[in-house]
Amino acid sequence: MTIQDPPSSVPSGPLQRFSEIRPRVLDSVVERTLVDLSSSTPDQLLGEALYLERLRLRQTRTNLWTRGRSQKDRKLWGEIQGGLVRPAGRVDRKQLLEKAIRHFAEEIGGEFKPEVYRFATSALPYFFNWMFNAASLNHFMPWKQKDLLHSQLNIVGEIDHLRRLQQKGTILLVPTHQSNIDSVMIGYIIYQLGLGPFSYGAGLNLFQNPLLSFLMSNLGAYTVDRRKTNGIYKLALKNYSTAILKEGVHSIFFPGGGRARSGAIESKLKLGLLGTALDAQTEGLIEGRERSSVYVVPMVMSYHYVLEAGSLIEEYLAESGKHRYLSIDDDTFDPLRVGKFFWKIFSAHSKVTVRVGKALDVFGNLVDEDGRSMGPNGTTIDPKRWLTTRGELCKNSQRDREYTERLGERIVERFHADNTILSSHLVAFSYFETLRSQYPDLDLYRFLRLTPEQRTLPREKFMMRAEKHREALLKKSGEGALHICPEITGGVTLEKDWVSEGVRQLGQLHDAAVIRIQGDEVTTDDLSLLYYYRNRLAGYGLSLRAGELKGQLKGAHDRKGFLA
Amino acid sequence: MTEKDFWLNSRVAVVGAGTWGTVLAQLASQNCREVRLWARDEAQARQINATRSNDKYLKGISLSPKVLAVHEIERAMASSEGGVELVIWALPSSVARDQARAFAPYFTGSEVVIHATKGIEPVSLKRVSEILAEELPVPRIGVISGPNLALEVAKGEPAASVVASEFDDVIEAGQAILSTPKFRVYSSHDVIGVEWAGTLKNILAIGAGALDALGMGWNARAMLITRGLAEMVRFGTALGAETQTFLGLAGMGDLMATCGSPLSRNYRVGARLARGEALSTILDTLGATAEGVATTRTVSQFARERGILMPISEGVNSLLSGGANVHEAMEALMKRPQISEF
Repeated sequence: MTIQDPPSSVPSGPLQRFSEIRPRVLDSVVERTLVDLSSSTPDQLLGEALYLERLRLRQTRTNLWTRGRSQKDRKLWGEIQGGLVRPAGRVDRKQLLEKAIRHFAEEIGGEFKPEVYRFATSALPYFFNWMFNAASLNHFMPWKQKDLLHSQLNIVGEIDHLRRLQQKGTILLVPTHQSNIDSVMIGYIIYQLGLGPFSYGAGLNLFQNPLLSFLMSNLGAYTVDRRKTNGIYKLALKNYSTAILKEGVHSIFFPGGGRARSGAIESKLKLGLLGTALDAQTEGLIEGRERSSVYVVPMVMSYHYVLEAGSLIEEYLAESGKHRYLSIDDDTFDPLRVGKFFWKIFSAHSKVTVRVGKALDVFGNLVDEDGRSMGPNGTTIDPKRWLTTRGELCKNSQRDREYTERLGERIVERFHADNTILSSHLVAFSYFETLRSQYPDLDLYRFLRLTPEQRTLPREKFMMRAEKHREALLKKSGEGALHICPEITGGVTLEKDWVSEGVRQLGQLHDAAVIRIQGDEVTTDDLSLLYYYRNRLAGYGLSLRAGELKGQLKGAHDRKGFLA
Repeated sequence: MTEKDFWLNSRVAVVGAGTWGTVLAQLASQNCREVRLWARDEAQARQINATRSNDKYLKGISLSPKVLAVHEIERAMASSEGGVELVIWALPSSVARDQARAFAPYFTGSEVVIHATKGIEPVSLKRVSEILAEELPVPRIGVISGPNLALEVAKGEPAASVVASEFDDVIEAGQAILSTPKFRVYSSHDVIGVEWAGTLKNILAIGAGALDALGMGWNARAMLITRGLAEMVRFGTALGAETQTFLGLAGMGDLMATCGSPLSRNYRVGARLARGEALSTILDTLGATAEGVATTRTVSQFARERGILMPISEGVNSLLSGGANVHEAMEALMKRPQISEF
């Protein structure tokens, strides 16, 4: 794998002509959403949406950068309410509905400005690189830069294939999602791989930061507001994604929805948005468009530490345990914390590993070098055939939902297989499971409340078990179930000891020590955090009670409530 | 084109010219333009076409002129006028994987596949629909199962069956092509349940054959069927099936038909075992596959490993392996600790 120098000019593609296609895309969103909603009465739809939107607006806090959006929302819903209270003969309900859809479509749809792209791609990497270099004092001065971000960024996997497929059809990149950092990372990765601009379905929280908001809205990103739960919005969002994929705009969204709360690889995906890949390709084929294929490319990012780990795992425990309620709001994109993260990456030599997975077609089949879907026993699949029902190439909601469900399952499988286990994940897993074997009868919530003395293990015992877990992991990796980083493969050598390296990396970002080795003892200051990092190895059948489970392991809990 | 017109104009391939395959071909011929019946044996194909009946497996039943027996899979899957819309897979489970591998290149991807096999792959415990999905470049796969003693269906006695698939396309094809005034087809989305129900009941059919041969009476048979059904539900739900499926045609329905009928091969195996014949002699002279023999071994072993309580299957297993005779197996079952029914 080689990382080429990114191209200096903006590569040509549909996104670069976005100002041309934008009106067309928005019109089609409005038109299609109206058709999709035609079976319900506008009064009912608007009534529901009005209620949910008012509720959301009341609960959402705004800042300087998001206030504009909220004000626009309030104005719209005020008008719609005004319209709904008047008799149907006086105010056309369908027009009101269309107005709401167009409002959502405008909000979802971004812009693409080539000059901003040029600026961003030339200035930002420079800025990033300076920041990372600054963390190492020798290279503080901008002109003394030696190490670049990509030296800390280990991008591996099917990169050449991705580049090739980009010429053959439309790419839908679906990454795992752990941290708000992911969005920035992905932007940099796309740039670093020389892939040209991608449209990006970004959570609204990214727009709370003025700089990011400016960049995102001008680089073809579209807004995904998971707090808008009304049916009109959800349909408009889906139709937007379908429309741009159909126009050939390479896209990215997180198929798991939000960040993985538990720290584990996603095991359940949001199928609504995912299904837009199949819709776009089917429509393209029906209309006889060239390059109508959509390729779904999974991508897995592995970090030694996650900024929001603490709040994410608390949220996860609160949700799944339902025994206490915690109000946590870390959704803002705080530049200081982000800075700290990148600083650590450089100063602690923490490599971020990103694996570009094998490309799938819209049904979840692997595709070959030339973008053809591969079937079993050396067969090639013609997608048109799979999309033929009763002798006719067509859309079919029941069939297509089933296809998308399978695509989702395949992505989950690929996520797990493309996961790169870092030394920090393995020490977390190993320590957690060793400790657990001391208290096999405790359920998760009891276990997390062990006292500091109870959490302490003899160092020797931990080291022995860690080596056992390492062997089990090597076996799994040999079977192709996952990838492991070179430190783990190397084991304990003279110059490197993967356990201490893992322990060192694991603790980096948090105030509490996730694992502390003190003399002959090993302990932890935060079991929940430890659980979070340990979960990176959930779903592989390696944990204490995983053997008792029947069937599907990914995302499953064992009898004591631990992720298996 | 309406649904009805489309299927009336369609072509169907039936893979496997055994008893049930031939009956399904005959049913399909009433609802489509043409049926190609693939037979492994060339002579058999010629014989069917020459005499318009399947002398080896379905003697005395004359076949519709729309049914054409073929020996080459190319000719079964496509003709000069076009490909087939529905493939009915009626081969024993033991050859499912190898045949699917060999036939994969002849599928285009738009065919709907419905299999009629009541068995599973040993060791892997994969259901036939899973095997087909792994080996064929076809996504739309389903299963047909139910109380369908082939000979009775062939004679035109009333019967019903259930077609299960995740895809409505498959269910539609099954209902359109296989329904006749004497054969009713129900639909289900519980593929796991329908396949396992059809597979598991074969174990109990062997047991029922053994009880009947020794004249143990109606009570004994009712006990076997009812408690056996409880085992089927336990096993099926552990693998993701829905309980209600076992109360339907593929479960209870099929149990009632096979556990009382000498027409069932598995029942005959059980009966002959009870009379003291050796398993190898029985299998050599049965003339067709009894799926239950392999199923019993695989299922009992899996149930033991996973801690699923299946004492009756365990009993049938020891009967088959020669570890116990019927009386001993029955005694072991009756001596089990007293427990609650559900």
